[in-house]
Amino acid sequence: MNKSVISALSTCLLLSAQPSHAHWVYVSNEKDDTVSVIDTETNEVIKTIEVGERPRGITLSKDFKHLFICASDSDTVQIMDVATDEILFELPSGEDPEQFALHPDNRHLYIANEDDAIATVVDIETRTVVAQVDVGVEPEGMAVSYDGKWAIVTSETTNMAHWIDTETHELVENTLVDQRPRDAEFTLDDKELWVSSEIGGTVSVIDTESKQIKQVINFEIKGMSPDRIQPVGMELTADGKYAFIALGPSNHVAVVDRSTYEPIEYILVGRRVWHTALTPEQDKLYTTNGVSGDVSVVDVKTMKAEKSVKVGRFPWGAAILPKAHIPG
Amino acid sequence: MNLSHALRCLRGVAVREALRFIGQRGRFFSALVRPLVWLFIFAAGFRSVLGISIIPPYETYILYEEYITPGLLGMIMLFNGMQSSLSMVYDREMGSMSVLLTTPLPRWYLLLCKLLAGVFVAVLQSCVFLAIAWFWDIRPPLAGYLAVLPALVCAGLMLGALGLLLSSLIKQLENFAGVMNFVIFPMFFASSALYPLWKMQESSLLLYWICTLNPFTHAVELIRFALYGKFSPLALVVVSLCTLAFLTAAVIGYDPARGFLPKKMSGAKP
Amino acid sequence: MAALSVDSVRYSYKQVDALRGVSLQVDSGRFVALLGANGAGKTTLFSIISGLYRAHSGSVSIMGHSLESETLKALAAIGVVFQKSTLDMDLTVLQNLRYAADLQGISRKDSRQRIDSSIELHNMQSYSTRKVGALSGGQKRRVELARALLHKPSLLLLDEPTVGLDLNSRQEFVSHVKSLCHSQQTGVLWATHLMEEVTTDDQIYLLNSGNIIADGTTASLLEKYQQPDVAALFNEVNKQYTDDRNVHGEPS
Repeated sequence: MNKSVISALSTCLLLSAQPSHAHWVYVSNEKDDTVSVIDTETNEVIKTIEVGERPRGITLSKDFKHLFICASDSDTVQIMDVATDEILFELPSGEDPEQFALHPDNRHLYIANEDDAIATVVDIETRTVVAQVDVGVEPEGMAVSYDGKWAIVTSETTNMAHWIDTETHELVENTLVDQRPRDAEFTLDDKELWVSSEIGGTVSVIDTESKQIKQVINFEIKGMSPDRIQPVGMELTADGKYAFIALGPSNHVAVVDRSTYEPIEYILVGRRVWHTALTPEQDKLYTTNGVSGDVSVVDVKTMKAEKSVKVGRFPWGAAILPKAHIPG
Repeated sequence: MNLSHALRCLRGVAVREALRFIGQRGRFFSALVRPLVWLFIFAAGFRSVLGISIIPPYETYILYEEYITPGLLGMIMLFNGMQSSLSMVYDREMGSMSVLLTTPLPRWYLLLCKLLAGVFVAVLQSCVFLAIAWFWDIRPPLAGYLAVLPALVCAGLMLGALGLLLSSLIKQLENFAGVMNFVIFPMFFASSALYPLWKMQESSLLLYWICTLNPFTHAVELIRFALYGKFSPLALVVVSLCTLAFLTAAVIGYDPARGFLPKKMSGAKP
Repeated sequence: MAALSVDSVRYSYKQVDALRGVSLQVDSGRFVALLGANGAGKTTLFSIISGLYRAHSGSVSIMGHSLESETLKALAAIGVVFQKSTLDMDLTVLQNLRYAADLQGISRKDSRQRIDSSIELHNMQSYSTRKVGALSGGQKRRVELARALLHKPSLLLLDEPTVGLDLNSRQEFVSHVKSLCHSQQTGVLWATHLMEEVTTDDQIYLLNSGNIIADGTTASLLEKYQQPDVAALFNEVNKQYTDDRNVHGEPS
């Protein structure tokens, strides 16, 4: 038996001994200035990483090598190396970045600057601001269409979804939605844009072609005062069947049937649920519960919360690293 | 004691109990309506109150309705245990207890039959309750439905044994109101059936200890854990010990040397 | 063999002595009447014989089995009809009988046969599927009797079984039991305070304040006390006993 065989074998053994047959869920803890990592198999926190001040929006690069973190109070977007957990560099983001969206080109990051009423476009490779677009007051949510043509900013005070042409970086259209729009998500085919309105208590489904609202979704939870139903983070399943809408202080996640646009289920999770993330298999949904400081795991098939995992204080955003890309 | 005789006797007592239970339709409905009223009305009012802290066996947030479901199963077992004590007193006054006790089998076994028959009826009721609760969206895991059966039997035996003991002490039918006031209500309210113990601890440490020492709390917790496919050893130990203690005391209470018939009846014409 | 023998049984409630050394015997196939006024101690004696109470002293044996040491064998040989109805009113006659058969450990096959023939024997065909609560007093008594006999006991105890029945039903019931007693060689102990239920060839025991104050066949006692009928005999014996007690004080 030669050396290479032995080394190959031992590599195999090492690999099989690896506990990570599961994905990692990154969760930003707004109050703790940390990111918690949850193993989806054990549903336990396996590590906690120190990051910049008040981390909120987080997202993974398209190649899953980097984690982008909006460190709101540090006024920067941090780029973390997934392999080493180290902050590689910071991007000029403009003031108070809260949410952002990564262009499919994996190069341009669209950032909402809440205090300045602008959206900043940053080139990650050159680490420079490519453009700043004036939008409505208090921009919050950010989305880029899958075909890369459109960037959407929602402005909380102006109550609009702003359509930015990604080629010209110009604002070309506004769609008026209900009060305090928070999150924006395109469907996988880019035909619809979903926008959640926190105070309005609705989700508006906008036709991309006409940029008109085609459907408004209302929510109602038995025994819950309507003003506590505040739609924020959204997640749309790839199969086009469901949308999961985090309903803030109502402590529920709504499941919307996308063929009828009707809520079909309300799932009890922790207190003040902000955002959600789906596993690559789309079988589990992770929700960040701000006030209760934990993450609830929802089984998509049974539409039931299975477990809640303690993380740091005020978890906000979530992003899932598929197991194939887990370092080591 | 021969085994086939013993089993036939058990069957006879169980069938009689079931026939009477079904025959008295009012009893069937009231027994079922009681926990359902709690579930539909009481729990609905407190729907959003709970879900603040996660305690075992729960792993995530639950609605109040889900929290009190095991407590309501406990309530069914409790009321049935007391109901069987009532029926013992009733049987004694009506004389049918004499029929049972003149049966050529050991007295402890006859009392055990009576107890098991009562538990059997209570478990039937619990199943109906769980079925209705399922439509009310209270859907524990499938394994829980299986695991809860032995837990219900254990809880039922303990509460039935307590009822048996009480019936050996109560001399007259009218005293049942007293049992309601001094046994059922305190046992039910001062337990983890309606509120988790940590909630009690927040309001009063004394109350917390009363609830912790209440055997009914452990019966409810045994059911609660089982309903989620889990097991609480402490609850099982407490429930088993209490069952043994109550049963022993009841058998002593029914010892013929003590004369179990109330004076009123035996000395009907003093 | 004596179906029942009771030897010097004593029993007292807190202050009252209910039985002060009662002895009696019932032979197989014999109809024995236990006569006593209300409160004489009949029910207490029955409760002891049927194992509900334990005698404070003295002994009871049934078909040679001591109630103390061979309780289950002794109990298996007894059938009891209690003074108060002990049937389940909300169950049917058949259900009541099946329950009794189960308690006695009779197999399903046997019990079906026995219940059928018992319904025939006691003429209960017309109401066997009705709830007991809906039956007349006489019918209820029949059901109780049928139940007490289901396991073919050697000794049948009846505690004032005719209370609450009209004269016709009473006479019918007594003669029914007597015929059973003879045909099945069952020893019967019949407690009553109604003297007309006793005929001249019966064995009788007179119970007063927990004592047996006279015993023998009715005929022999009528002759001994020079009385025309059982009622007069009963009054006379009780009177003599009371007078005697007033002179000599309470017997210890």
